[in-house]
Amino acid sequence: MSYNAAMIPRQNPLDDAYAGKSAETRHLKPGELSTGTTIMAISFSSGVVLCADSRVSTGSYVANRASDKISQLHDHIWCCRSGSAADTQALTDYVRHYLAQLAVETGRPPEVKVAAHLMRRLCYENKDHLMAGVIVGGWDPVSGGSVYNIPLGGACISMPFAIGGSGSTYIYGLVDSEFKENMTRDEALALCKKAVSHAMARDGSSGGIIRTCVVTEEGNVKGYISGNTLPYGPAGW
Amino acid sequence: MSEFTLSPTSTPSPPGFSFDLTHRNALIAQSAAANNPGKLPKALKTGTTIVGLVYSNGIVLGADTRSTNDTTVADKNCDKIHYIAPNIYCCGAGTAADTEKTTETIASQMELLRLNCGSSTSRVVTACTLLKRMLFRHQGYISAALILGGCDVNGPHLYQIYPHGSTGKLPFTTMGSGSLAAMAVFEEGYRDDLEEGEAVELVRRAILAGIWNDLGSGSNVDTCVIRMDGSVEMGRNCVTPNDVGVLREKVVRSSVLDMKRGTTAVIGESFRKRSGGGVTLEDVVITEMET
Amino acid sequence: MDFKKIFRMNDKLYVGLAGLATDVQTLDQLLRFRMGLYELREEREMSPQVFTNMLSNLLYEKRFGPYFAEPIIAGLDENEKPYLATMDLIGAISKTKDFVVAGTAEGNMYGMCETLWKPDMDEEELFETIAQALLASVDRDALSGWGGVVHIITKKGVITRELKGRQD
Repeated sequence: MSYNAAMIPRQNPLDDAYAGKSAETRHLKPGELSTGTTIMAISFSSGVVLCADSRVSTGSYVANRASDKISQLHDHIWCCRSGSAADTQALTDYVRHYLAQLAVETGRPPEVKVAAHLMRRLCYENKDHLMAGVIVGGWDPVSGGSVYNIPLGGACISMPFAIGGSGSTYIYGLVDSEFKENMTRDEALALCKKAVSHAMARDGSSGGIIRTCVVTEEGNVKGYISGNTLPYGPAGW
Repeated sequence: MSEFTLSPTSTPSPPGFSFDLTHRNALIAQSAAANNPGKLPKALKTGTTIVGLVYSNGIVLGADTRSTNDTTVADKNCDKIHYIAPNIYCCGAGTAADTEKTTETIASQMELLRLNCGSSTSRVVTACTLLKRMLFRHQGYISAALILGGCDVNGPHLYQIYPHGSTGKLPFTTMGSGSLAAMAVFEEGYRDDLEEGEAVELVRRAILAGIWNDLGSGSNVDTCVIRMDGSVEMGRNCVTPNDVGVLREKVVRSSVLDMKRGTTAVIGESFRKRSGGGVTLEDVVITEMET
Repeated sequence: MDFKKIFRMNDKLYVGLAGLATDVQTLDQLLRFRMGLYELREEREMSPQVFTNMLSNLLYEKRFGPYFAEPIIAGLDENEKPYLATMDLIGAISKTKDFVVAGTAEGNMYGMCETLWKPDMDEEELFETIAQALLASVDRDALSGWGGVVHIITKKGVITRELKGRQD
């Protein structure tokens, strides 16, 4: 008899294994790794800034304290991953594969919009099996820097900035008040670092170091801030 | 051709898992819970401590050697460091059969890949990708938590792979039920560019922390050093802190425990002489062929 | 009931199957069938190592709907050296030098064997030891009993003895 997913007994959401879990982690199977996360991306005039914390957790144990949740999809297209680590890694692997194929077929670099819609399609069509919230950001010659948010259900929304993951709820107010249209690269980077720092301080599932990636036509600049030099709280703390 | 057909017992079964008995077993489990005094057999789990770490010239992997069935120690000296390729090894935690069979499957795929490419060594990323794809495809139902380590053209690599198919590339990592105890030792003792001797010693201490402080781990320490020049040194049972052989020899064995002949009442006995295995010329009467 | 749980695979190889009766008999049939095919194709007897791997793969194929049976494999290898192995119901092999046990009286058997077993016993001594270990163990297990059987696999052949046990 061939492999048929329908024959595997699926867990009942009312099982004991699911008791006492938050809305966001409830869909994880017992023992599944979660990037209980803070992720963020801002587009500016000539590119985008992507930013993420580095904590990967299983329940209350930190499985990896210096992970990289910013994954490359193509030369100038990146994404921030939140949700199940296994699901988002598989998704990015697929999108990276399709984009590479597309670039060869068309002979030109793919648009960020195409990458985002590929990701959306995978997220939407498999939404019953996935736990993935992804922010796709990058630069392309048609639209310049752009950011797309793909939350849990598989929508795809173009945004000037996007925040995601369990830590994002703590910083909506901060980012809404600090965000301006047409920021410079440095302003955008500074806001990302500040916002993610504050989320990491209040969200137990976010922490570690901050990883950043600045994507422009010139290239990608990756960076990090170690956990003891985070821009958190009033200046001079 | 013929209207008589045998049931297709000799046709090879399709590849992959067979779910034929899944439904039946669910019914059995149901009725067993209701009125059967017997316990259904459980799969062996390796409550485990496994670790891996990168040092200046390669990789050191480590594992304990206890395998458990519920609270019983099923195997006091099992092997948890599995072969993947000549330059790649993999520690396994979780369900014993799952770690064993997944690593075996990937090892064979890697061998075929090497044969196809005509190369003598494999890349660690390849093994990592094959493993994570297989585990992700089965959505965490194959409970294998792995630490994959090896040296290839790009240097030493260490990956942790979770049962659901997520991976991480790290300078040092621990997994299994004893991972917290072992990680405490690593967090205290790890630094970049350890020498080989220091690295092996740190790995031994990490596994010992698991052996002593985690009930699921125990017995001996196994290590495996994979160097950049391609050489591999297996340290099977390199520390044996639970060796009871010496103590047992000191025990004065009561003569009551030596069973005398005729102790057991026997109600029937038979002897089956060995046939010698298969048909030989001696079993055949040779007659001249008529011409 | 007088239910057979140990099966002869060839002169040098026996397998014991503890567990659900229907699965025990199905497995015996499957194993005999595959052994037969191997012997016809390879024109030689199957070694205990090969047999162990074959059984392991057979069980793991049913990973997500297993046969409820825990096998133990005992025999002599190509060099006439003793071979002992056991596995769980989904085929995780474990090989030992001293003894293997399986079934509902497993815990009792572990206790008896850890006490009675010693290295380098001759076949008669080994018989008395294993028989006493078995009888003592099944008397304290409600699900095992009704006598016992011991096979002693030697270079010359196999001695089979039926033990007198409690019939209750």
